[in-house]
Amino acid sequence: MATDTSTSTKFDVRDAEAEEKVEARVGLRYTLSQVRRDPTALAGLFIIGLTTTVALIAFVDSTVFEQLSKIGFFANLGVEKYWLAKTFWYSPVHEPAGAEILRPPFGLTNELYPNRPGTLDHPLGTDHRGRDVLSRLFYGTQIAITVGIVSTGIAMILGTLVGAVAGYYGGWVDDALMRAAETLFAIPFLVLVIAFMTAFGRNLMFAMIGVGIATIPTFARLIRSRVLSVREEDFIEAARAAGVRDRNIILRHVVPNSFAPVLVQATLQVGINILIIAGLSFLGYGAQPPTPSWGQMLSSSRNYMLPNPWFSIWPGVAILVTVVGFNLLGDGLRDALDPRINN
Amino acid sequence: MSEPLLTVENLQTQFFTEEGVVRAVDGISFEVNEGEIVGLVGESGAGKSVATSSIMRLVENPGEVVGGTVRYRDEVLVGFEEGPDGERRRSPEMLSEAEMRTRIRGREIAIIFQDPMESLNPVFKVGDQLREFIEINREVSKAEAREIAVDMLREVGIPEPEERYDDYPHQFSGGMRQRVLIAMALACEPNLIIADEPTTALDVTVEGQILDLVRDLQAKYGTSFIWVTHDMGVVAEICDRVNVMYLGEIVEQAEVDDLFYDTKHPYTEALLRSIPRPDQTVEELNPIEGVMPEAINPPPGCRFHTRCPDAREVCRRAHPAYQDVTGDEPPHRVSCVKYEDVGYEDSDPLETAATGAFGGGLVEARGESDE
Amino acid sequence: MSRLRYAAGRLLQSIPVVLGVITITFLLTDAIPGDPVSIMLGPSPSAQQAAAIRAKFGLDQPLHVRYVNYLIDVIRLDFGQSLYYGVPVTQKILERLPVTLLLLVSSFTFALVTAVPLGVISAKRRNKPTDHVSRIVALFGVSTPSFWIGLMLIILFAYKIRLFPATDLVMPWAHPSAVDGASTQLEVVLTALHHLVLPTITLGTLQMAAFTRIERSSMLEVLGQEYVKLARAYGVSEGKILRKHAFRNAQLPLITIVGLQLTQALGGAVLTETVFSINGMGRLIITAINNQDYLLVMGTTLMFGVVFVVGVIVTDLSYAYVDPRVSYDDTD
Repeated sequence: MATDTSTSTKFDVRDAEAEEKVEARVGLRYTLSQVRRDPTALAGLFIIGLTTTVALIAFVDSTVFEQLSKIGFFANLGVEKYWLAKTFWYSPVHEPAGAEILRPPFGLTNELYPNRPGTLDHPLGTDHRGRDVLSRLFYGTQIAITVGIVSTGIAMILGTLVGAVAGYYGGWVDDALMRAAETLFAIPFLVLVIAFMTAFGRNLMFAMIGVGIATIPTFARLIRSRVLSVREEDFIEAARAAGVRDRNIILRHVVPNSFAPVLVQATLQVGINILIIAGLSFLGYGAQPPTPSWGQMLSSSRNYMLPNPWFSIWPGVAILVTVVGFNLLGDGLRDALDPRINN
Repeated sequence: MSEPLLTVENLQTQFFTEEGVVRAVDGISFEVNEGEIVGLVGESGAGKSVATSSIMRLVENPGEVVGGTVRYRDEVLVGFEEGPDGERRRSPEMLSEAEMRTRIRGREIAIIFQDPMESLNPVFKVGDQLREFIEINREVSKAEAREIAVDMLREVGIPEPEERYDDYPHQFSGGMRQRVLIAMALACEPNLIIADEPTTALDVTVEGQILDLVRDLQAKYGTSFIWVTHDMGVVAEICDRVNVMYLGEIVEQAEVDDLFYDTKHPYTEALLRSIPRPDQTVEELNPIEGVMPEAINPPPGCRFHTRCPDAREVCRRAHPAYQDVTGDEPPHRVSCVKYEDVGYEDSDPLETAATGAFGGGLVEARGESDE
Repeated sequence: MSRLRYAAGRLLQSIPVVLGVITITFLLTDAIPGDPVSIMLGPSPSAQQAAAIRAKFGLDQPLHVRYVNYLIDVIRLDFGQSLYYGVPVTQKILERLPVTLLLLVSSFTFALVTAVPLGVISAKRRNKPTDHVSRIVALFGVSTPSFWIGLMLIILFAYKIRLFPATDLVMPWAHPSAVDGASTQLEVVLTALHHLVLPTITLGTLQMAAFTRIERSSMLEVLGQEYVKLARAYGVSEGKILRKHAFRNAQLPLITIVGLQLTQALGGAVLTETVFSINGMGRLIITAINNQDYLLVMGTTLMFGVVFVVGVIVTDLSYAYVDPRVSYDDTD
């Protein structure tokens, strides 16, 4: 069994073993019914629901309204980017006239305002340009959620494809693809993505694509090990005997059978990717100012964090809470899939 | 007759699960005499393994021994008493966890598990695992323990035991590993060995060899055994006395010959009928009809009535008493309404899985595998 | 002997991976827009100068020729000149690599030393308060951006409490005369450790949390195995079961993960070095990428690849050391 020690195969043996044990319980409906009874998974679901709602509102107010404002009818109505924010709140990007910079949060003081605690006008304080921190955090949610989900989606689709092909065909195709996956693993994510972005474009879109490509191996390995075990199943044999084409077997039978473990990995991966992209933004590879993003807020807070530490604390808390949400849900899904840990 | 080595009285073990309380062992009683091999037979899920773990007090969460008595010689392994407020609580004579560990487990009662492939630790040398248990349970030096271990390996038929001592479990075949586990049990010189389906995972030829080996060694050392199995063939070959378990209860108990030739309980009959014989074709096999109900929600009355070919209306209402029905010595105990005066003869027959109403569709395996 | 042969075999198997790393990096650096020559010579070099530089570095050749030339150079262990620093790439790497390795070693040590006991206790006291606390710590550990932890530690320990410094990392092997307030080597080492505390926690927290989770779940699995039940049935004490019978088996998944976490930690080093202004490999490669110093980019990435490969081999060797079922004789 475990006599082969090359890294890739060793993992596969373990994965396949683990997979085999959960086989009876991989049904999606069963998984969801388990999750409903798991308070931590529900907490994760709640956090994700909340951040996604915030992200949607921010998306409408920025991207959707920006597009609408190009149409005469809506422009006449006064629709513009950040319309809602400007009307009811503070714009996340524009510096207000006569703004006080680096104000502390409500009720607290900092070195710049030792005798004047923050007010409810800016409950979390203001940044180095006098913009409202809460408003920027709110609009930053959109970027975090989008990049997390899109980059994971890219990795999931391409990884599933690569893994399914490698596992189904085996032989040299498998060898070549798995070596390629190992190569991607050998270069640190961050370095790979930064080089990629420098080459193709230093913006959010290439950050998402880069992170997506860099995490393909995670999904490819997962799917491959599933395929290796599913491939031997009777119904696959039957489909093959009935003359169903390889491509259809992979797409119709093998991939759907691996859906549940992929869902778990994808949920966890969204959290991981949010962290990676926050790191990229912190280094200046991500959303460019003035677009609000949490990582970039942290980056600009560095110069001001000693007189006003609050400025650095909030974006980190926002990232932490969001990623905790995805991790809680991912763990809950995994527990539901794996009865060994459950009982 | 002398005092029995081990007495189990009304032992109850329950599992507290999310779905409800599972009464895995529900008031069983039996004893084991010195030098005797006592069988514990039944289908998968009958509660045999839970019963043996309960005797050793090794039931794991969410399971718990909740009542009854287990006495080993003068020691009380399990004991309960009524508190002043009517609550059932552990009796003060019951051994503490530390006493169980240092005085009973391994030293007085040893165990052989079902799966020899999983019972040895893959990362330690076979000999060292043996040696460690001998050291713990026989108060000998490391070197002496090693010698005992090698002798014992030879005794159970491992060729070149000196060399094999330093091998790892994966270098042994399944049958060889089971021999090692038997050596382990015997080397600690216990008075009682619990063998929990020790041959189930082995193929038939190896099973025969192991049974021969155990019989020889038992004659030599005089150790008592509780032999857990689902296989009536194994029972016939090795046991002196048999307890038949169904859904957490013992339904029949007798000397092995009595049980085979003067069967009292319909379940035992069904078990015996289900032994495949070489002169039978597949169509002629007689599996026990129906599926054993879940212990979480046992049928009312007699627990076997849903699958019993002799079931009558009264079986649904009356829970049969467990009693001696022959009056001879040794006793032949059985738990069936037929032997009670509760109106079985006048009751209407029931349609059950075994009486043909749903036969065929519900043919269930005769328990090739256990829990 | 067989162990050596095994390692050599694995090293040979890793050649495609290293080759892959070179190829990917080569293509990526080539795709970076802009002209390295202009970075060297300023914004408007004369055509003659530029052509001379191009010829000197072989930049006038087509892509595939340059690729093959680079491979030949790598085999000769010649990694070329850094355009930005004007020194050999090898020299720059040798200068920076020890710093990053020190950071990696100290953060992995921190992670393992905290994670193993935490995971074991968590598994042993499953669903008890200790378990809940350790699980929450681990959950937050894997959910927090490392660089943010760094910022918070600086605010708290370097600024408010002034317990640990946030800058001026000292190498423990530095000469005492080069270190402020140190006269003996021991003092240098102590100063170095003092300076290492915050970067170590920053880089190590994520690994610590990941390791704790692995350790807990694998310990739980091992504690449910038949051989653990058997040991219990033979009167082995719970403490000894944990320390001896279960411990070794439970480390196997952890060993596998440690190797894989290595690249992740190298990526994390980029951020940690940025937060604490440490001149290590991470910041070196960012500078190189930003300045189109393509030979330096290639050299550093190649080094990362080698560190990864060596890490995986060490992982495999330790796995085989712990698990007798893995034999050295099968190398495919």
